[in-house]
Amino acid sequence: MRNGFRRSVMDPLAIVVLAAVVVLGLARVGGLSLVGRAQAPVGEAEKAGPVPRTSWDKPDLTGIWTNSHDIPLQRPSKYKDKEFFTDEERQELDKIRGEIVSQDVRRYGRGNAQDVGGAYSTNIFLSHKPTGKRTSLITDPPDGRIPPFTPEATERRETVRNFVLELLQATDTCKEKLVGCAGGKYGPPSPKYHDVPPFYIATGAPGGGLINRSDHPEDRTLGERCMGAILPDFGGATGFYPQFILSKDALSIYYDTGQGQGWQRMIPITDRPHLPGHVRLWWGDSRAKWEGDTLVVDVTNFSPKTDYQGARENLHLVERYTMKDANTIEVVVRIEDPTTWTKPWTVTQELSRQPDKANRHYKEPRCHEGNYGMPALLAGARAEERAHARGKGPHPATLCSAGCGGFAGGFADDGEESNPFNR
Amino acid sequence: MSMSSKKPLVATAVLAAAIGAFTVQACTSPPSQPAAPQGPVVTRTADGKPDFSGIWQALNEAHWDLEAHAARPAIVTQEGVYPYEYTRVPAAPVLALGAAGGVPGSVGVVEGDGKIPYKPEALKVKQENGANWIDRDPELKCYLPGIPRAMYMPYPFQIVQSTNKVHMAFEFTSTARTIHLDEVEGPPDFTYMGHSVGKWEGDTLVVDVTEFNGKNWFDRAGNYHSEALHLTERFTPIHKDAVQYEVTIEDPNVFTAPWKISMPLYRRLEKNAQLMEYRCIEFVEEFMYGGLRRQPLVKRWEGENMIVEITRKVPEGEKLYEWYRR
Repeated sequence: MRNGFRRSVMDPLAIVVLAAVVVLGLARVGGLSLVGRAQAPVGEAEKAGPVPRTSWDKPDLTGIWTNSHDIPLQRPSKYKDKEFFTDEERQELDKIRGEIVSQDVRRYGRGNAQDVGGAYSTNIFLSHKPTGKRTSLITDPPDGRIPPFTPEATERRETVRNFVLELLQATDTCKEKLVGCAGGKYGPPSPKYHDVPPFYIATGAPGGGLINRSDHPEDRTLGERCMGAILPDFGGATGFYPQFILSKDALSIYYDTGQGQGWQRMIPITDRPHLPGHVRLWWGDSRAKWEGDTLVVDVTNFSPKTDYQGARENLHLVERYTMKDANTIEVVVRIEDPTTWTKPWTVTQELSRQPDKANRHYKEPRCHEGNYGMPALLAGARAEERAHARGKGPHPATLCSAGCGGFAGGFADDGEESNPFNR
Repeated sequence: MSMSSKKPLVATAVLAAAIGAFTVQACTSPPSQPAAPQGPVVTRTADGKPDFSGIWQALNEAHWDLEAHAARPAIVTQEGVYPYEYTRVPAAPVLALGAAGGVPGSVGVVEGDGKIPYKPEALKVKQENGANWIDRDPELKCYLPGIPRAMYMPYPFQIVQSTNKVHMAFEFTSTARTIHLDEVEGPPDFTYMGHSVGKWEGDTLVVDVTEFNGKNWFDRAGNYHSEALHLTERFTPIHKDAVQYEVTIEDPNVFTAPWKISMPLYRRLEKNAQLMEYRCIEFVEEFMYGGLRRQPLVKRWEGENMIVEITRKVPEGEKLYEWYRR
C-alpha cells in the first residue's frame, strides 16, 4: 500500500523545497530524508531470542538495523566523569531536546541568512530519537572524547578555518559576530575570495571546510553534492538504516542514510590483502574475517576527498560486528590515523533489528536525481555576479550561503536552543 | 580450469570461449530451453539451491542496443556527405573519442525477430530518444540504472545470497537491489530499481519485478518503458560459472505484446575480483553543472587533427535549461 505522505516527501517538488535549505548551507548535513519510517525497534522491551545462525554456522547478521537511541559521539562536558546517564537525566535531556526540535516556526532575526535555517521544519524532516544510556558513543579513551589532534592536523584545520573565515569576513555573520565567524573579524571582501581552497572541500564539519562561495560544484560540501555518505557512519538526524545481508564470502551492507544519499558497501570475507596503496576509494577498501562469532573488518585505502572528524586518506578502521541476541548487533569500531590524532579511539554502538516484513528500507538514493539545489545555487551565484557587475546588487562576497549559522540540524548554534549534547 | 593469476583476462577469455558455443546458441536460436544438454555442474547452498554468490557480468552489446544491429560510427551522429542514414558521421560531442566512440554490432538479445514490439507512437518516442541521447539517457546523468539495464551494463555486479534474500550490488553508482524470497511489504513509492519478489522453480530463480517509476531506459539506443513495466526474470545455472538470464518484459503502455530478452551472465574468475567504486555522481558534475561554473573548464578541445568547439543549439522546451538561464 502506498502512503500519501511518503509519496509527497519523495516527490521531486518536495526535494526542491528541501534543496533550497541545503542551498543556503544552513543544513550542514545536506541531503534529504524521510522520518516516520522507523518502526519501533524490536529490541529492548521484548525478550529477544538467541542469535540466529546461518546454514554454514555463523551468526546471521542479515536484517535491517538501526540505532534506536541518540547518543552523543563525544561526552558533553557537563557529564565529565560519567559513563552512563541516570534515567532522570535521560528524561530531562529528552524534554529539552524535544522542546527545541518540535518548534515549527522559529526566527533567528528577520530577513537574514540565519533566519532561513529556522524555516526548515525539523520535526518533519529530521529524526531525533530518545537519549540513550551512554553519555558518549566513544568508549575509549575513558573520558569519552576524541583524543587531541596531532600538530600536523591542527595546522591543517587552522589553514582550512582561515580560508573559511576569509570567505565569510564580508558577511553579516562576521558583522554581527555570530558563532560562524568565531576567530574571524568583519572586513571588506577578501582578495582571496576566488582562490583555490587549501584542501579538498569535503564535509561541512570543522576541518572539512564549509566555504561561503559557489564558483563551482566543488565549492559545496559533499552533502550538497549528494555524496555525503561516509565511513564510519554512526547515524544522525538524517536517518540511518543499514541492511545487512550475509553470505559465506561477503557481507553486504546497504546504508539507507543521509537523506537520499544511501549507498552499497561490499565487504569481502577473505584473506586477500588490501588493494595496492595507490588505489584510493571514497569508502575505503574493506576486508573481513571471522574471529569466533565476531566479524572483524579492516578498512584502509581511503580517498583524500573524504573526511571523518578531520581524518582523510590515512584513516584506518577496524570494525567488530558481534550479535548479542537475535535483535541486537554490537558494533565496535577502532578509529586510527596517526597523522590526525595522537592515539586511536573506539566507538561502541548497538544496533536494533527492524521488522523485516515491513521492509522499511529504501535502496533509492535520489538526492542526485532530485538535486535541483545544486544548479539553482550555481545559477543564483552567477545571477548575483551579473547583478553586481551592472551595479544592481551587493558584492557577492557580502552574501552568506554557507557557514552563516542558524538552526542547523534543528538546534541553534549556541545558547538555550543549542543541542544539549554539544554543550 | 586452471588459471594463471598473472593473466586473469586470458583466463576469462578462455572461459568465454568455452561457453561460447552456448552463447551463440542463446543468441541465434530460441533460447527458451537454456539448460545445457548434460545438465550443468551447479554450486549449491547448504539447503540445496543453486548458489549464485559471487561477482558476475554480462559480456555482450545489450547495453548499447538490445535489438540486433550493425555497428555504427558513434552513439550520436550527424549527416555526412551523402544524405543516407548509413553514411552518417560522429557528432561533435563524441567526435574526439575516435574509434572508441563507435557502437559495436550485435546479433541482439531480443528473442524472435530481434525487434521490440513497440506501439507506433511509442516507436516514435524511442527514435527521438536515440536522436537526443545525450540529453535524455539517464545513464549519462548517473541516475539509478533500473532493472533490467543494471544487469547487463558493462560493470560487474555481486550477488550475496542469504536464505531469504538474494541481494545484487552493482558497481555502477554503488546501487543495489534485493530480491525478497520471503514475504515483505512493497515500497512506499514507485522506484527506479523496482520491487523484486523471487521464488525457486527447481534450479531456476524466478523474480517478479514491479513498482517502477518509468524513468529508466533499457539501453543507450533509447529503448524505454513506462511505469507500467512488469518483468519476469529467470536465472538458470548453465555452468558452474555461467547463468542464463532471461526476462519477459510487459508494458501495455509502450508495447503491443510481451517480449523476451535472453543472455548468459558470466562469473568474474579473476582470483582478486572485487566490486570497485564507480561513483559517477562526481564524474557527471562537469556534464551537468559545468556550464554554471564561474569560469567554464571545458568548452573547446584541440586535438592532433582537429579542433572541436562544444557549442549547441538547445532544443525548445528544455525546461531546466530555460529555468537556469532566465
